[in-house]
Amino acid sequence: MTDLLEVRNLSKYYSFKNGWLRPTRVCALEPINFSVKRGETIAIMGETGSGKSTLAKLIAGAEVPTSGEIYLNGELLDPNNYQQRCREIRMIFQDSFGSLNPQLTIGKQLLEPLRFNTAWTPAERQEHVYVTLQKVGLLPDHFDFYPHMLSSGQQQRVCIARAIILEPQIIVADEAFASLDPSIRAQIINLILDLQEDMGISFIFASHSPEIVRHLADKILIMHRGKMIEFDSTQALLTNPKEQLTKILLQSEQLNKALKHTTTQE
Amino acid sequence: MSNILDIRNLTIELETSAGVVKVLDKLSLQLAEGEIHTLVGESGSGKSLLAKAIMGFINPRWKITADRLWWRHYDLLALNPVQRRLVTGRDMAMIFQNPGSYLDPNTKVGEQLRETIPQSELKGIYLRRKATRTVRAERLLHRVGIKDTAKVMNSYPQQLSEGIAQKVSIAMAIAHNPKLLIADEPTTAMEPNTRNQIYRLLAKLSASQGMSILMITQDLTAIIPETQRMSLVYCGQLMETGPTEKLMSEPFHPYTDAMLKMSFFNQDVAPKTRLPTLTGAIPTLQHMPIGCRLGPRCPNARRACIHQPRLSKVKQHQFACHFPLIEIVHHD
Ligand SMILES: Nc1ncnc2c1ncn2[C@@H]1O[C@H](COP(=O)(O)OP(=O)(O)OP(=O)(O)O)[C@@H](O)[C@H]1O
Ligand SMILES: Nc1ncnc2c1ncn2[C@@H]1O[C@H](COP(=O)(O)OP(=O)(O)OP(=O)(O)O)[C@@H](O)[C@H]1O
Ligand code: SF4
Ligand SMILES: [Mg+2]
Ligand SMILES: [Mg+2]
Repeated sequence: MTDLLEVRNLSKYYSFKNGWLRPTRVCALEPINFSVKRGETIAIMGETGSGKSTLAKLIAGAEVPTSGEIYLNGELLDPNNYQQRCREIRMIFQDSFGSLNPQLTIGKQLLEPLRFNTAWTPAERQEHVYVTLQKVGLLPDHFDFYPHMLSSGQQQRVCIARAIILEPQIIVADEAFASLDPSIRAQIINLILDLQEDMGISFIFASHSPEIVRHLADKILIMHRGKMIEFDSTQALLTNPKEQLTKILLQSEQLNKALKHTTTQE
Repeated sequence: MSNILDIRNLTIELETSAGVVKVLDKLSLQLAEGEIHTLVGESGSGKSLLAKAIMGFINPRWKITADRLWWRHYDLLALNPVQRRLVTGRDMAMIFQNPGSYLDPNTKVGEQLRETIPQSELKGIYLRRKATRTVRAERLLHRVGIKDTAKVMNSYPQQLSEGIAQKVSIAMAIAHNPKLLIADEPTTAMEPNTRNQIYRLLAKLSASQGMSILMITQDLTAIIPETQRMSLVYCGQLMETGPTEKLMSEPFHPYTDAMLKMSFFNQDVAPKTRLPTLTGAIPTLQHMPIGCRLGPRCPNARRACIHQPRLSKVKQHQFACHFPLIEIVHHD
């Protein structure tokens, strides 16, 4: 099987202006290499500030890398051409409200990608938006809402709808589960599993939740201070982590609590 | 135990294109001094709106009514906007959901943090005060677990990672030692270890300074261990409230029960299998069911549920449900 996505020497530096001093360069991501197969799910884990969002944004083309290349199906992606990849790689941002257009209704924001990327009639597009809203636990009524009229979790779901609406090859999600309630979270997890089964979508997601990572990921990529320190199958990292950090991040506190809950219930 | 915050039957009505809708429906909540209370509810159930109503961050077009909305000896609804702002500014602080969008994007973090240090803590001439402010600001960042203080202070908010931005907004909220802290999903971007550090800090502040804390979350698996009480809301209505342990171990309300069952991943479930969910979606405000709003999604619903259940009290639980998960002995 050939790799769907290949990342070669990808890195990102930000420069800081520090008063009258020369700008200092901050490394958000040191050169990184890995590849992703079709239908594969990769979890990115790491402490806060370790570069998870930076990596996710680079893959999705929302930031321009300092160095390195990304290949999709063996074809080099142009870092400055966002249009080229926006059909095949879709991103769900950590800051959902910031990534929505406050001036447009939810419906219009979801219609937009369909207008540019499909040959459907307006009626078909509208119908597809309704169906997609339902898939993420929203209602047709939400079509006419503006982003500020939604709660944070509902905004997050609009972003998920926007990511899946074109049925891309890769979905990159940055902490997409953190602001969802348990019922919707389960619904979205099921939805992603369905999409993967039906269409072989690859799913790359940053998450802090050991439970979700265990449930979804085929492989886990551990970040520490802008560096990938471990990358292996979920099973391998669960049973035999090389780094102490990996162990800490994958440790579930929930296990104890869940046990307590079920035993006291009897 | 006297309540420092006392809310009885708070109702908020918004005007929308489809008419007036009730976002909060007769919600009651009490908080004692130094108490930590956790508010749990699905997305869109009105948690953030309640927080904003307590803080007084409200749109003048919203209609707010309550039998009581008291903070200490102030009747908050009777205060004029100037008095209200004074009381809020002195006594309360809020950590907003999505802190990134509440920090000023054009001002460096250090500057914003220095401004939250209260005047009363500063002495001496201008330069001395300025130096003290910087020292205080650095100390605050240390307390929330930020090591690289110089870099963070020198950054603009959009240059911070999400978790660091959350830490910064926690630092800003505790800067003037508020008596009431409302924390709206304060740790969603943090991994469990970091989150626990923040929880320890908040619990310490509550114990040592009598700070009352209202924690807002959707995640029952990650509530602050020190929380004495817990309330569950659904669509702006209170479902159940009581001591945390009691609710977790023996929920009386079908909603509490469903939330608990969904929240805890069953460890025996094989990877990639489909997970259980509560059927249906939370309705829009324009289409709220009458009576108990959980009705259409509730496994126990029956005819009587078209009337909104009143709050009953059994064994320290208070719950609003016609058919709770217990045998109630009727005395009448
Ligand atoms: N626009 C920017 N300018 C300067 N530095 C930045 C910028 N964006 C990110 N950084 C820095 O890059 C580093 C990595 O940030 P990133 O957002 O990728 O972290 P993260 O792993 O996603 O953290 P979190 O879990 O808190 O979201 C951080 O130190 C951050 O301050
Ligand atoms: N300005 C507004 N106009 C109309 N409806 C609004 C407005 N603001 C909020 N709402 C609605 O009020 C309800 C409650 O919103 P709120 O933000 O309080 O939810 P929440 O419980 O904080 O959810 P989350 O956990 O997702 O943050 C939502 O259904 C939302 O659509
Ligand atoms: S009142 Fe009826 S609908 Fe509401 S929670 Fe109880 S049983 Fe369910
Ligand atoms: Mg991030
Ligand atoms: Mg909210």
